[in-house]
Amino acid sequence: MLFNSLEFFIFLPIVFILYWFVFFKKTRVQNLFLLVSSYIFYGLWDWRFLFLILASTVVDFFVGQTIYNNTSNSKRKTWLWVSVIFNIGLLGFFKYYNFFIDSWIDLLSIVGYETTSTWTLQIILPVGISFYTFQTMSYSLDIYYKRLQPTKDFISFATFVSFFPQLVAGPIERASNLLSQITTKRVFTYNQCKEGLKLILWGLFKKIVIADAIAPIVDDIFLNYNEYSASTLILGVSLFSFQVYGDFSGYSDIAIGTAKLFGIELMSNFKFPIFARNVAEYWQRWHVSLSTWFRHYVYIPLGGSRVSKLKSVRNIIIIFLVSGFWHGANWTFIAWGALHAVLYIPVFLMGRNRMYMGNVVAENRWFPSLTEILQILLTFSLVTFSRVFFRSTSITDAFGFLEQMYSNFTYETYHHPLGYRMVDYFVLLGIFLLYEFRIRKDERAPFKFKSKIVRFILYALVILGMLLFYDDQIDRSFIYFQF
Amino acid sequence: MKKLILKSVLYIFLILLVLEVLVRVFHLSKDTPTRFLDKHEVEKWFPNQNGFSVTGNRRQNFSEYHINSSGYNSYREFTPSKDKIEIALVGDSFIEGFHQDFYNSIGKKIENAIPSLEVYEYGYAGYDFADQLHLIDSYKKQFDLINHIILGLKFSNDLTRGEYKVVTSRLNLESPLNRLLKKSKLLVYCKSIGILDPPQEFVYKFINLLQPKPKAKTIDKKEIERIKLEEEKRFLANFESLIARYGFEKERYTLLLDSRITSPIFMSYLKKHNFRYIDYASSFESTNRSTTLIYDRHWNNHGRNLIAKNIINYLKSNNLTP
Repeated sequence: MLFNSLEFFIFLPIVFILYWFVFFKKTRVQNLFLLVSSYIFYGLWDWRFLFLILASTVVDFFVGQTIYNNTSNSKRKTWLWVSVIFNIGLLGFFKYYNFFIDSWIDLLSIVGYETTSTWTLQIILPVGISFYTFQTMSYSLDIYYKRLQPTKDFISFATFVSFFPQLVAGPIERASNLLSQITTKRVFTYNQCKEGLKLILWGLFKKIVIADAIAPIVDDIFLNYNEYSASTLILGVSLFSFQVYGDFSGYSDIAIGTAKLFGIELMSNFKFPIFARNVAEYWQRWHVSLSTWFRHYVYIPLGGSRVSKLKSVRNIIIIFLVSGFWHGANWTFIAWGALHAVLYIPVFLMGRNRMYMGNVVAENRWFPSLTEILQILLTFSLVTFSRVFFRSTSITDAFGFLEQMYSNFTYETYHHPLGYRMVDYFVLLGIFLLYEFRIRKDERAPFKFKSKIVRFILYALVILGMLLFYDDQIDRSFIYFQF
Repeated sequence: MKKLILKSVLYIFLILLVLEVLVRVFHLSKDTPTRFLDKHEVEKWFPNQNGFSVTGNRRQNFSEYHINSSGYNSYREFTPSKDKIEIALVGDSFIEGFHQDFYNSIGKKIENAIPSLEVYEYGYAGYDFADQLHLIDSYKKQFDLINHIILGLKFSNDLTRGEYKVVTSRLNLESPLNRLLKKSKLLVYCKSIGILDPPQEFVYKFINLLQPKPKAKTIDKKEIERIKLEEEKRFLANFESLIARYGFEKERYTLLLDSRITSPIFMSYLKKHNFRYIDYASSFESTNRSTTLIYDRHWNNHGRNLIAKNIINYLKSNNLTP
């Protein structure tokens, strides 16, 4: 069930009403209802994969308790490994099995041993597997690091793992935030619900108006890159930056907004990365829940930045390679991760990786300074350049794309593949950027204006935008569902 | 909770109201003329209406229509006489041409090329061959004065019936409920861009769930070919039945068709029985520009230019021009 589908807009009010009016008396019953709703939500995609979620839930529920009850460090470690191997094993099989087999065969052919693949399997990637496995693992890891006490309530834990607003594409929550809210009684508050509805509206706008409207252009340019000149290719990859941002941050807003309707606060996932002033700030603002996960469970255990510079650089490289690989079983993602490591390391070595933490561009000012504009443009260009690898279907295509850009370095007028006016999209993106800049201080309040009239006009304009750019021919699924 | 529900309802209502105003201000939605059944049981537009036809979600195509006193979209009135040379174009929405400004129609393009000729466009969305012949028969006196009649024919659509009957499903669009719904420009706009398709499909799916499903039959290629052939023969029989009922003056009537989508059986039948036709397939095939609109399969300006050119060439080569 997609957030931008009719089914969801029937499902959500029903669950909301039953949640607050029928099952509100006991938290445990309310949680059981949320669990059943979440399983229905997921099962409508493919009910067979519910068993994977259930398996991951059962394993980590018992592993968590066993780790907590054991005093012996070696046993605790062994049980932690059970969780890690089980979850990584699920990921490895469903997401990476064919990749490893194909890569192994390619390696053999490089050393002169030609063979045909008979080991690859027709495996469907279960939606959201990368997200919920990481979430369950974080539970066992937190207990192992003694940051968390395990819950004895299986229903609550299963609800934490499968909570439908964030089940398929995050934000990847830590038990200390989400599970603690699930185990305590929720109280309906008008303001929380109102904020939730606003976030859902803004998320839908980003998905329908920004991401979906741009998608046919990006698809066309990346599919036929060898027919276009550099100007079109630059346009394509730049628009992809907006597409992926609109798509994923739109999803996250809807997820956070939906959770608010049930009295639950999820962590922020996007904090206006478009206005990042260097690559380090970009990573503090882009897919925050994943970055946080890697920082807590990989980077810090490796020593983080408290070790020698050389080891820190090694840790950064590991983090970005793993992060790239997490996105998909393709060398393009590994190359994308490596490229980000290359971009991040100089910022780290210059000691500028934490300088923009806790402040936004043009803090306490109406407009950014010239330096800030140049910094934003440079960061956007670098990040956008890396997206050539992220978007291409293979490494060969990515290099082909770059080679075409270099060899055909000319300007041409691009025409929309469906014949629409291109100027509409440029005007749209211009307005979107200005608006995002206006609201840049609070990613959870997209309509924070004192005047009720201004807010009302904005709601109407946002919905009008959706009506103007809605296209029933477009594949409306979310990009990050494939991860 | 009460506050949330009340405020949500209020906001939804006010936002819908504002959207209705915005859709009207920016003229995003099409106007819908009124249709009726005349005394001859010919379905047509109510005379003397004006409005704008809009296609696509950001006015990708915006055109003006004018329904003349005969009930058809045309910049001119139809006043055939023996003193002038007139051509009639009879057909469906492609001839009706709501997707173009009424003063830039196929007929106008032909008249621009041959100024002393008058072109009457009897186009109406959904007209099939039975509708066309029934119209000509019903207004025989008027059509007898017209020098040449060109009938648009799409083989797969226009020969599905062998006798004329009033199409009630189209007239049902004029039901009080439909007229009322059409008053909301927002609703008309939402329907035109496909936003209402998912709820409709959902309702159909739900209804289908309650009904027993027929067992799906597997049909092999031979069976498909046999069914196709049978259908083509049926269409041909319908053609014969209609011309037997209404008559077909081979010297004065010409069919306008695309041989790429016309059955070879029908094509050879036309040739064998000396039916005149204009085949625009080659001109559409040879152009490297799109001949249809973005959001719609109707001809765009380029497509209409090609059609006009085909008709002009045909008229000239057959000495049908003044």
